[in-house]
Amino acid sequence: MTAGRLWLGPLLILAVVGLAVVPIYANGYYLALGISMLNYVVLATAWALFSGPTRYISLATAAFFGIGAYTMAVLSEAIPVAAVIVVAAAVGVAVALVVGLATLRLRGVFFVIFTFGLAELIRQIVTWYEVKITKTVGRYIFLDIGQEQIYWQLLALAVLVFVVGWLIGRSRLGLAMRVIGDDETVARHVAIDTTRAKLILFAVSAAFMSVAGAVMAPRWTYIDSAIAFNPMISFQVVIMALLGGAGKLYGPLLGVIPLVLLFEVINANFPNHFAIVLGVVFIVIVYFLPGGVAGLYDRWRAGSIRLPVVATRDSAAPGSATLELVGLRKAFGGLVAVDDLDLRAAPGEIVGLIGPNGSGKTTALNLISGALKPDSGDILFKGRPITGLPANRIARLGVARTFQIVRVLEHLSCLENIVAGLAFRPQPLWGDAARRRGRELLDRVGLAERADVPAGDLTYIDQKRLELARALALDPELLLLDEWLAGLNPSELVIGIELIQSLRDEGLTIVMVEHVMDAIRTLCDRCVVMNAGARIADGPPSAVLAEPDVIAAYLGGADA
Amino acid sequence: MIVVDIIVAGLILGGLYATVALGLTLQYGVARIMNLAYGEFIVAAAFGAWWLFTANAISPLAGLVVIVPLAFLANWLIYHLLLMPLVRRARSREVLEGDSILFTFGLLFVMQGVMLSLFGGQLYSYSYLLVPIDVIGTTVSANRLIAFAFAIVIGLGLYLVLTRTRAGTAMRAVAVDPRSARLVGIDVPRMSALAFALGGALCAAAGVLISMFLTFSASGGVLFTMKALIVVIMGGVGSLLGTLVAGLLLGLAEVATARLIDPGLTLAVNFAIFLAVLLVRPTGLFGRPSS
Repeated sequence: MTAGRLWLGPLLILAVVGLAVVPIYANGYYLALGISMLNYVVLATAWALFSGPTRYISLATAAFFGIGAYTMAVLSEAIPVAAVIVVAAAVGVAVALVVGLATLRLRGVFFVIFTFGLAELIRQIVTWYEVKITKTVGRYIFLDIGQEQIYWQLLALAVLVFVVGWLIGRSRLGLAMRVIGDDETVARHVAIDTTRAKLILFAVSAAFMSVAGAVMAPRWTYIDSAIAFNPMISFQVVIMALLGGAGKLYGPLLGVIPLVLLFEVINANFPNHFAIVLGVVFIVIVYFLPGGVAGLYDRWRAGSIRLPVVATRDSAAPGSATLELVGLRKAFGGLVAVDDLDLRAAPGEIVGLIGPNGSGKTTALNLISGALKPDSGDILFKGRPITGLPANRIARLGVARTFQIVRVLEHLSCLENIVAGLAFRPQPLWGDAARRRGRELLDRVGLAERADVPAGDLTYIDQKRLELARALALDPELLLLDEWLAGLNPSELVIGIELIQSLRDEGLTIVMVEHVMDAIRTLCDRCVVMNAGARIADGPPSAVLAEPDVIAAYLGGADA
Repeated sequence: MIVVDIIVAGLILGGLYATVALGLTLQYGVARIMNLAYGEFIVAAAFGAWWLFTANAISPLAGLVVIVPLAFLANWLIYHLLLMPLVRRARSREVLEGDSILFTFGLLFVMQGVMLSLFGGQLYSYSYLLVPIDVIGTTVSANRLIAFAFAIVIGLGLYLVLTRTRAGTAMRAVAVDPRSARLVGIDVPRMSALAFALGGALCAAAGVLISMFLTFSASGGVLFTMKALIVVIMGGVGSLLGTLVAGLLLGLAEVATARLIDPGLTLAVNFAIFLAVLLVRPTGLFGRPSS
């Protein structure tokens, strides 16, 4: 990355070459240990590719490993080994896609539980098929593949995992995964197709696990479904990756080395106490090493480098944005939160959406941004219907928002928060261009100094600013602000109002939910007042706020 | 009549699954602890009942009186000593879920390891009230029927506790929204500990009842955990009615699969139903949609 890391490349190449010559000198025991270690390096690193950023604890490793091993057992006599490996990867990917499509949209916990049983599920199906249809219980693998070859194949595979992991980490997919890990709702609102991103990574990770299984299979000459789909592999991989730290590419490696040695010693000396030791290691990690060994290093190294700020400003494209809501309705059970709402925002207009608490303002914004789907009615953006589209699609079309309760990506730096907004829009920015633009946007909201600070460390007000900058990063034509000015002190309020005004001057259309009446009067061209889900007034702020219905809605309905 | 066979056997098995899952509903729904060592507690209770019966000639039903309070105490201590630090540390529900999953993995292996070294890996069972009884044209053994009756009593008892007592109401409040519960003066950590311990006690009761007619082994807990999890999530986390319906559904499906297709495919069918339900209703059959 930087000049200071240049020594890393040659060192890594040297390490790989060093590892490659091991089989020439090592005896059988150390070679077997080396194979075991490389196998777990591949599995744990592949596991962390998906589970590290998403924090979905996958227990599907044994299933994919078993798929690879069993594919080798079934096909090794029919087609060449290289072809078997390709087939194994393909089967692994196919299963990952099916499982992922079914479960990745659900909450993380459900995913854990499903993968918990996946290996057993596949094992049952394979056993049933073998017993009922092919009338075999196990299969023999007669392949002339020595330990050395397995070792080299695994080493090549390990190198490949790291290269792919490194490339993903630098790509937009890598950033997308980290945003998802931090806050999935935000991810969708910066135009990330979260299901697709998770699915891709799950499939990549599964492909590596299946290939590892296929490569390892010739070590057993006899395989049945209970050997191939051994659930312990899943747990061991999880614990190794977590001990090392799943957040870093090299993290799992740091966990694999000590644990493979530890398990080796225990298996040799206290085979009956293996489960207890495994359990204790799990508990120790949860209590004392939540970020893994790699996390410790990060904590020790904490403290970031400040870079000079480039502050220039370019104007947003002149918009022709119009929002139109027609007969919008959304009910939660018996409560009609938004009832037959009509609203229009002309290009460059600031429309205030006001009303007493519980009148449905935030729900209306959620419907526009795609966080919720309306029961009926239409939402037109620039004349085109966007009703019921997923939030990431709506964000890509040019609708950005902030949240009433601020949602920044706490574990990412301020700059990365903005880059998340830049990287997934229709004309994405990436690399230096994204960082430059990100700094401009931070400067605009007054956060230029804090680019490298984790967003979670900002004060509440600064987090609100950051959230606005992230919304602006999408280069939207329509901006939805949900009580963005709430909680600002008087001088911050003045700055905030000026900022919104300057956005309007650049042609942005803004719909703002707000309780700060001064801001409404100063900023809004027009005001829509909601009460109990329905629109009760629409017009210039001063006129609207004087209407008897509006006063009654705010102060309680006195019957004449 | 094979249909009657399947329905009677399925309902009895399903009722027991629902009982097995009741404790997990409390632990996960109220205390927010995803307890993956749940099945190990069931097996431990089964071993307890086996030991009381074979070594001391105490009937498993009398054994409930000893084992259930012990389990309550043990789970209360586990919550206070081991889980409390994680609860205090957690910044959000997701973090606690992740931590509790990993912690209970640890607990799972430790308990499994201890039981393996005490009892070895073989299957255990004992014969208690192994008398055939005729139920609308199909035979069921007496121990199953008695276990089923106890399961109904326990389920009803829990329902009454949750709906008719102050502590039960407080627990339901915590299940819906821990933050708001605090605002109305409910001691959330205390109620969570209570719910976790009560869940553990129910789990032990289920273990004792199951040991009366099923074989069990030191490493067999995971399968109970799987089934309890499927029932809890499929029914909708925190919903007693959902747990009951999901349990019955699962029992029927399992018996039907075993009789009509192949006993080896029961888990596959369980998972298929689980997924089908979640794809249509992501929060479960009786779950509230989360905003």
